[in-house]
Amino acid sequence: MSGEDRFNQLLEAPQYGFPQSQKETLLLPLLNELTDRHRVLCPEYKRLISLLHPGMIQADSLAEVPFIPVGLFKTHALRSIPVEDVFKTLTSSGTTGQQVSQIFLDRETARRQTVALGRIMSHILGPDRLPMIVVDSSALVRDRARFSARAAGVLGMMNFGRNHYYSLDEQMNLDETGLLGFLEKFGAKPFLIFGFTFMVWQYFFERIRGMGLDLSQGTLVHSGGWKKLQERAVTNLEFRRSFEQAARLTRIFNFYGMVEQVGSVYVEAEDGLLYPPNFADIIVRDPATMRELPPGEPGVIQVLSALPLSYPGHSILTEDLGVIHSIDGSSSDRRGKPFSVLGRIPKSELRGCSDTHAVEAAA
Amino acid sequence: MIVREVAPIEQFVEAAEVTARLQAAESSFAPFAPEVIQFCGRLSRLIFQSKSARAFPDLQALAFWMRPAGLGPLNESVRRLETAHSRLVPRGIVFHIPPANVDTMFVYSWIVSLLMGNRNLIRISSSETPQVALLCQILNEALAEADPVFQNQTIIVQYGHEREITELFSRSADVRVIWGGDQTVNAIRSVPLPPHATELTFPDRFSLCAIRAKKYLDLDEDQGNSLAEKFYNDTFWFDQMACSSPRLMLWCGDKEECQLASRLFFTRLQACIHRKGYAPEVGVRMNRFTFACQAILDRPITAYQDFQGDLPVLTLGSLENFSREHCGGGLMLEFHSSGLEALVPAVTHRDQTLTQFGFDSVELERLIRLLNGRGIDRIVPIGEALRFQHFWDGYDLFQSLSRSIYVHA
Repeated sequence: MSGEDRFNQLLEAPQYGFPQSQKETLLLPLLNELTDRHRVLCPEYKRLISLLHPGMIQADSLAEVPFIPVGLFKTHALRSIPVEDVFKTLTSSGTTGQQVSQIFLDRETARRQTVALGRIMSHILGPDRLPMIVVDSSALVRDRARFSARAAGVLGMMNFGRNHYYSLDEQMNLDETGLLGFLEKFGAKPFLIFGFTFMVWQYFFERIRGMGLDLSQGTLVHSGGWKKLQERAVTNLEFRRSFEQAARLTRIFNFYGMVEQVGSVYVEAEDGLLYPPNFADIIVRDPATMRELPPGEPGVIQVLSALPLSYPGHSILTEDLGVIHSIDGSSSDRRGKPFSVLGRIPKSELRGCSDTHAVEAAA
Repeated sequence: MIVREVAPIEQFVEAAEVTARLQAAESSFAPFAPEVIQFCGRLSRLIFQSKSARAFPDLQALAFWMRPAGLGPLNESVRRLETAHSRLVPRGIVFHIPPANVDTMFVYSWIVSLLMGNRNLIRISSSETPQVALLCQILNEALAEADPVFQNQTIIVQYGHEREITELFSRSADVRVIWGGDQTVNAIRSVPLPPHATELTFPDRFSLCAIRAKKYLDLDEDQGNSLAEKFYNDTFWFDQMACSSPRLMLWCGDKEECQLASRLFFTRLQACIHRKGYAPEVGVRMNRFTFACQAILDRPITAYQDFQGDLPVLTLGSLENFSREHCGGGLMLEFHSSGLEALVPAVTHRDQTLTQFGFDSVELERLIRLLNGRGIDRIVPIGEALRFQHFWDGYDLFQSLSRSIYVHA
């Protein structure tokens, strides 16, 4: 079977259907091919692998596929395509002054991402495009040449909706009239709501909680991390319960994903756990030894994806902590590795004779 | 302008009153006055007696250094700075600005200053470490028992970054001592001092280690382990963030010797890291791995070893344009060369301490002559990187914190 056939098989088979061992048999050769591809086409990647894993030829298991730290995409332009083939450049959303990741896509990688995301989303949304509420402002996606992660996320999801309605203005105020109009027109049949977790809570839920809306036909898909909500002591459970109580919205799917692997998203099942799709997987590693950890032991998340052709991002060590709960042991209909994200690795600043005072003095 | 006084009295106080009290402290002491040595002794005893201080090896080292038995020989070396026609006297008021978060290093320059008979004003940052808080508490205990004349010899205050306060304090200073990063030094340097005042700065530094490979291979196992342990103390006590902790290792010898010695030494160091239970936080480890990958892409790295995740070691193929950027937390850069001369073109004024093993004084002196002041302020045996000496960053602190008066009858 050729790589392309294998990839298509993983893509077209029902998502989450393969037992772990069968999935690994299909995924491993694809990832090995990607390692080879990027070694040939990306000089930086070649240099990294030759020094981190001298003499390495092929990985014999998913855990052996070499990984690179996600921080490298912030400091280096890692590309496996000539500059003229760059179709889109994605950047991560960082606060001002922070370095942002740069991810270079060619048309083929962008296409694979779109198709892959479609396979995952149709699993929860069904085959039809649904009327869609975007919990964001239309201003976000105006510059189409250079996307922030947020814009890329919104645009990616818009493919799965129709009659798109941006519910926020540039100041993040909810357009209540527009929302009521949308619901009057589409609210009696299935519709889609998408936004980033924190924004959905802060700018959408907080505004509609007293309005007595009926969102029972809606499916809410949201992503972007829980950090800001944890500060407000809002857990995933609380989030779900609040929407159910205030607006009878029960179909809620959180997902985990990152700009460095757009298209490979990990969506919640009914059990509230995240699952890798067929063409991606996760490994949890011991931060001290970098060895793979068994289910139940929390560690650093590594993400694997068969999608990235234009940049060496098929195996990335993230800065997130997580835990795999079981292998093929889910109570839902999904196979593979159910997992939870436990949050960011806390930033630790080592304090020296010199460094820290500088910030203070410069302030 | 109100500052928080931490010692000798805990209170909020007008900044102007602080300087007034220092200027009014009418009786100052001669260098190494017996009363001051006694006071240091009391401080040392109180630190040793404090249960809370036992958790901090740096406080223990400090207490050991300021025992009267240790200060005696220092007195003699200070006396040697005087000639038939010159005598040392205090400079007056020394304004110390220690780094925000390391710890106890500034105490040494303060004690040296106190020993020389100066009055001291110390600004500590609002984010003091537990060591500093504890030290202030012990100091206040010592002051409470001491002669009242000591009360206004040292005042410790805490304030934010109000430039007006730094200006006021600087106006009354005869010496200003700034510890901190380059940015801090630049920021504070722009605040004027009186025309006669002097300034000591301790900015960002980089430190390294050199080992004669053959001499290391000649050691028996115990000696080899012991040297690795000394290196561990130099490097890991402050997470490799002290300015005198080594970050670059130079192996001197032929190719094979260097490779063997490096392998053996770092394997023993890894065992030592395990034995000591050094376990940096997850964030530090991740940062270290990312730094290593970035270094592989940006620098002439020829090999990477990680010693089971405990000790990333990156081998450099050249020291040309050597970057001193470093992540800390226990990552070593290494370079193999035939001799110490390899350092000469690479050394800059950023380089502070060279810890070494296997070189004789002739070779080391030759290195200093070759460098001729372009960098490296201290060369000490492995194990003494963090040991404070009054020779620091190219200053003899006893000399710099006093004036030499010429007397000819």
